[in-house]
Formats: sequence, C-alpha cells, structure tokens
Amino acid sequence: MPKVLIVDDTAFMRKLLRNILFSGGFDIVGEAENGKQAVELYKQLKPDIVTMDIVMPEMNGIEALKEIKKMDPNAKVVMCTAVGQEQMVKAAIKLGARGYIVKPFQAPKVIEELKKVAGLS
Amino acid sequence: MSDKDNVLLKVPAEYFDGGWKKGEVAITKTSISFAGTTIQFKEIQDLEKLKYEGKDAVRIKKDNKNYYVAFGKSQDQIFRYLTFNLKSDRFAVYFLSPATRGGVVVRDSRWDKGYLSITDEALWLLSSSKQIRISIDNLGSVEKDIRAIGKKQRVVLVITHVENGEVITSFVLCPETTLEMLQNYIQNIIDQNKPKDGISEIEEQILTMVYTGVDSVSVESILGITTDELNKLYDKLVDMGLARVVKIRKEIELTPKGVALVNDIMKKAAVR
Repeated sequence: MPKVLIVDDTAFMRKLLRNILFSGGFDIVGEAENGKQAVELYKQLKPDIVTMDIVMPEMNGIEALKEIKKMDPNAKVVMCTAVGQEQMVKAAIKLGARGYIVKPFQAPKVIEELKKVAGLS
Repeated sequence: MSDKDNVLLKVPAEYFDGGWKKGEVAITKTSISFAGTTIQFKEIQDLEKLKYEGKDAVRIKKDNKNYYVAFGKSQDQIFRYLTFNLKSDRFAVYFLSPATRGGVVVRDSRWDKGYLSITDEALWLLSSSKQIRISIDNLGSVEKDIRAIGKKQRVVLVITHVENGEVITSFVLCPETTLEMLQNYIQNIIDQNKPKDGISEIEEQILTMVYTGVDSVSVESILGITTDELNKLYDKLVDMGLARVVKIRKEIELTPKGVALVNDIMKKAAVR
C-alpha cells in the first residue's frame, strides 16, 4: 500500500483527498498545510508519493518540491493545482514533479494518476 | 432559382414522428428539407448529435420544436455542414479541446484550426475534424492564461465546461484583442446563467465533494454534520438547479426481532 503525504493549505481539500486516497487503497501517512511542513514531514515519514498543492502560505508547492527533490531526487511528487495554474505546473514538471491533477477532480481520475505515479498501473 | 434547384446533397434518412420513418433529406446552400419540412439554416436555434429512440441521430431545434433525423452513413458529413452554417457569431481561432478531463491532462489532444461559434444555446468549437458543442448550461468559467505554444508564450482563453458529468477545460487561441472580447462575451453568458442567490462555503464544499464522487456518509463525516442537516443542504442545491436527486437513502433501526437475531449471530460466532 503506497504511503502518501497530502499537502494543501485548506483543511477541506486535505480531508477530501484523504477520503479519496484511502478508498483507493493508499495509506495516508501525514498531512501538511504548507510547503515548510511538507519538507519536514517528508524527512520524517519518507512517503512513496506526495500530493502537493501549489499556492500555499509560508512556502509554496514549487519551493517545497525543490527542497524535497534536493533531499531525495527520486521523490514522487504529484502537483495539485487549479485551472489557470498550468504555467506553474510546467515549472513543477521541469523541477521533477511526476504528474499533476487539476481541481476540481474526480476520485477515479485521482486514484488512476497516483497509481500510475506509484507504478501500480 | 428555387432551393429545389440548388440541392447539394440528397440522401436517404430517417426522421422521428412518433416512430422512426424512412424518407429522404435534401440539403441546399441555405436549408435542409425532410418529410415535407424545410428548415433554413438561419432558423436553426440549436443542433446536437445524440442517441434518440435507439438511433444515432441529430436534434435540430427550430421555433422551440425539436426535429430528430438520422442521416445514417452521411451523418458526420451533414452534421459538420450544419454546424458550419448555423446562425451564430463566429470567430476564427485555434483550439485545444479537451485539454484536461476530470482534472487530468489529456495527453494526446492536439490544437485544431477552426472557429469558435456562439449560438443562443451553445458554444461550438469547430474544425474539419471536430465539432464540439458546449451547451451554455454546461459552461463553468472563462479566464485568460499564458501558455507556451510552439516556441512562443501566448495568451489563451481557458474555458471550463462539463461533459458527461466531468469538468473539461478547452483552450482557445486568437489575436489578443479578439480574445479579450471573447472572454467578456462568454463571461456575460456565464453570469446570466448563474444561480441568482449566492451559495455558502459549506454548499460549495458539498458540490465539490459530490462532483469528486464522495458518498453522503463521507460528506457528513468530512463536514461534521448530521444526515438531516445534509438533506436540507441537498434540498437547497436541488432547488437551485445545481443538483438532482438520484437516490433517496433509507435509514433503519432494528426491531426487537432484529436485535434478537443479531444476538443469535454473535452467539453462533462465539462458539465457532
């Protein structure tokens, strides 16, 4: 069961992703509400996948991605973005993000994308 | 010269009139005729490919009346011809549709050269290979974004819309002055179609969860609300035309007979 760290500054989106991923057979090992927390939790928890929101306070998702990639070049980070943030996603992909999902998302698509990134499909 | 003399195409077709009936359809530069009815292209209010009474057909709306015609092998050709001849405001554009579907990028989608055509009931993305109808009811949002196209950074319109219950984004590229005008035009259409009363944060969250596919029990758990509270919120969303009821949940409690049976089941499990 792949271990997932969910990073999003809104509690609602974290709960929603937790619900989707849990039902998809993922193990939610942690949640962070900003990029700084995400980097700390990545060090501690060593998740298989991170779902990373882009616009967050303190440290945004792109900066957090950079830090995580510095620590672990093989980190599997999936960017979680809203319509209109495609430019940022492109930057994230260049920095090594493995995939991205666009809000609003549908549960089966999210699970499919994360399974792909986890190498399960 | 009459329309009859200008017939471009005459093919066997079926039309629906209480049941499917065989006939012939004739197309001229300005009209389509079948079963004694002639519809000028400029009179067509709406057009849609759909499955109707067991057949792949085309719905043609004129004077608020729907006509259903199945063109058989010529369906794609005739549909394309009709879409290009609808009475509409039409703008030459490049478009990419779908760009994302259900929140995931559609990797094999390509830019098409064609038109953005706006009728009273729909937005159309038209090219020789694609005729995409976006009902005005299905329009979500329109905004500008910058994307790398070829080797240039270009401003595009990002249109979100719904198709078969999924949110799709489509991109439109055209000269920036036209883009600005198109954005305002489409935004106006969206604003006119929005619910008049605003919705609360909790209602927004419910809509998001329902779209995502979260079941009602999880919605209650995520929001920390009771079934009664959720039902009231659902009713409001239904009243606003933002959702529809597909199933009514049943809540049950056990009768003494049921409790006794559970007791029995537990006893049996204990001696196994």
